[in-house]
Amino acid sequence: MEDLVDSLTRGNATEVKVVLASVVLALAVYQLALIAIAYGRVRPPFLHSRPAARAHRAIGDMLLVLIVVVALMCLAAYGWDDDGGAHAVIGAALLGALACKVAVVRRGGRLGRLLPLLGMTVFALLALTWLASAGDFLGVG
Amino acid sequence: MDDRSQARQLIGSLLVAALIVVVAIVVVTAKLGPTSAAELDAREDRLKQRIEQQEELTKQQQEARKERLERRDRGGE
Repeated sequence: MEDLVDSLTRGNATEVKVVLASVVLALAVYQLALIAIAYGRVRPPFLHSRPAARAHRAIGDMLLVLIVVVALMCLAAYGWDDDGGAHAVIGAALLGALACKVAVVRRGGRLGRLLPLLGMTVFALLALTWLASAGDFLGVG
Repeated sequence: MDDRSQARQLIGSLLVAALIVVVAIVVVTAKLGPTSAAELDAREDRLKQRIEQQEELTKQQQEARKERLERRDRGGE
């Protein structure tokens, strides 16, 4: 796996991971704006709640794939080293929160009320995970 | 609101997302640029080449000095 990641990124696994993680974070901020419109908290004249909700769902699906790819790259490159303790713990919590959110979205029903809380948790964990690795690498935080 | 308008808004939202992806890649890549593995390798190669050139030059200077000294010694005899 490590060799595959290394050959795919031409030896720039860390840099590619930083770029992907930053793209994920930027899109996550956009997701917050979209869901605020979808829930009717913000009502811009150019975007209705239904298309905003559909865009949020489509981008969310893509983000899920990207997050899993970054996590796999992370594991392949660094494994379970002690060096990135906090990053590994927050990252694992992020994957757990994401799994819960996907399960709630698929199930629907009463648990749907938890979605805003789960969404905010996913965003907070994502930001923390980014700060603990990519942000550090870019000299932020 | 009709379906056409909704589809237009959905496509617009996705295009904004694509734009965000492009901007994020450009900004982060610009910041990472000089630390990429390829750039570091190239820098290392250039440094190695410079050191080799310096060593070559020093060697040539030493040989020239040695030759001069030998010629002077021979001239003195």
